[in-house]
Amino acid sequence: MRRAWPLLLLALAVPPGRLAAQLPRYVGVDAGMSRLEFQSASPSGGEKLSGFAALGHWRVVLRPVSLDLSYAQGRLAADTGGAVARSFVEGAAFLSVRPAPWLALKAGPHLRAYAAPGGTERWVLWEGRAHADAPLLDGEWLAYGEVWLAVASSVNVVPGASGARGAEVGLTLKMPRSPLWGRLAYAVDQARLKNGARTESLQSVVLTAGFGGR
Amino acid sequence: MRRAAFALAVAACALARPARAQTPVELLNRGIRAYQNLDYDSAAAILSSALDRPGRALADSDRVRGLVYLGASELYRDRRDSAAAMFGRVLRLDPRYRIDQLVFPPEITGLFQQMRLVTRAVTVIVPPQAELHAPGDALPIALYATTFHPVDVAVLRPDGTPLRTLYQGGVGDSLVIRWDGRAADGSPPDSGRYRLQVASHGGDGRVVRSVAIPLDVSRVRRDTLPWPAPVPDSLILPEQAPGRSGVGALGAGFAAALAVVVLPSVVAGSASGAGTRFVVAGGLSVAAVLGFRGERRPQPIPGNIAANRTLQAAWQQQADSVHAANVAREGEVRLLIRAGAAHVTETP
Repeated sequence: MRRAWPLLLLALAVPPGRLAAQLPRYVGVDAGMSRLEFQSASPSGGEKLSGFAALGHWRVVLRPVSLDLSYAQGRLAADTGGAVARSFVEGAAFLSVRPAPWLALKAGPHLRAYAAPGGTERWVLWEGRAHADAPLLDGEWLAYGEVWLAVASSVNVVPGASGARGAEVGLTLKMPRSPLWGRLAYAVDQARLKNGARTESLQSVVLTAGFGGR
Repeated sequence: MRRAAFALAVAACALARPARAQTPVELLNRGIRAYQNLDYDSAAAILSSALDRPGRALADSDRVRGLVYLGASELYRDRRDSAAAMFGRVLRLDPRYRIDQLVFPPEITGLFQQMRLVTRAVTVIVPPQAELHAPGDALPIALYATTFHPVDVAVLRPDGTPLRTLYQGGVGDSLVIRWDGRAADGSPPDSGRYRLQVASHGGDGRVVRSVAIPLDVSRVRRDTLPWPAPVPDSLILPEQAPGRSGVGALGAGFAAALAVVVLPSVVAGSASGAGTRFVVAGGLSVAAVLGFRGERRPQPIPGNIAANRTLQAAWQQQADSVHAANVAREGEVRLLIRAGAAHVTETP
């Protein structure tokens, strides 16, 4: 947990003069659905679940930083015999800065929970993220990639969290001269328990529609 | 004795004529010198000859001068009626004429003033050309009268009917009347030849003298303002830049698509990748191709487009103001009035 603070301070310490691509103050929201595929693997076996989640994302830009808040909630059904269906809840809050027009650095907490009849597994990840944009057409179509690493992690499962990492690649399409935009993305992450007791990976294909800033 | 001298002077004039043809002005000057030498008979004969000589007529100013000296000579020849008649002619010829009291003695100036009181005539002065276009513009008509008497001032149509009666009343020394170029109903007249008529009335109300001045009235259309020059090409900025290669968009899109394909193995190791991710990979690939094609198209330059729009808007504003001014000019009625020579009609 303590390891998260240096990353946050690093993000905030980027000189404002470098924040050339600062966007003006605005608020953007988007909402949509994601298709989730969950896999866990342990020495004793594994399980697969899949389902859908509704998600929402809110962004406010207050130069020189931006604040992103997101929330998702859904249901995972078992794809393999031993798996137990469970609810999925996720939330995150990130502060970000843009040291270059194409690059954003983010830091913040990422919470995830799987609620099953036998108990709820809760993950708390403090993440550092790097986000890069690549224009495809007139600055209205963007491909983006984001990689992240948990600099601190915890889970309420014995023997405890060993770490987590993830990535996301997607496409945002903005309507010309319109505040409307859409996003299609693929994200994958993996969280590990200590001693190789178990790994959990979650893949999601996200489709959202937004209004305001991307 | 005087008759003999007059006959002698006439004979001298008759004899001198064949020797050398004198001009009327020379005769006039000779007559004045004779008057100044107190040779009134010779002066009268010579001046009469100068004034009555056909052909090379005297200018009005010389004629007036001759008539005055002739009248003075006649008065000194005890021919008062003849003198009065000469002074009357002077006043009808030039109602503004004032006899020089330093040159002529009181008996002459007195008779002249008496004739001024009984001679009813006006001089009408109109500028040879006037243009009326703005409200308040008018043709000034100046009247100079010999003595106070009633006059009628009117502009007549070609058929003699009045277009506008400008004044009916007395005029003493002088009076300026202004005609705004309009008919009696306030409308501008058609182009044509009109007549300004100033009629002097006698004591019995009859018209004793009439001055007519032809007025050529024409409606003039003002020249329209020239259209503003179009914005020169040198000031027009290019609105499009050549298309880029598009390779960057293509590369970025396909790289992102490839990343989607390989991400599960990179991030999640042995976990099997979700098949739905190929939807994202396909979307990125299509976007890459479309972006590649789109980037190769000429790219608009918003700054230049805005600058050109500003130039065009400024030109359009100028053109609109010129158009409005020209429409206003076409609606204006401007009159060009040319005045001709005065023609005087005396009623006996």
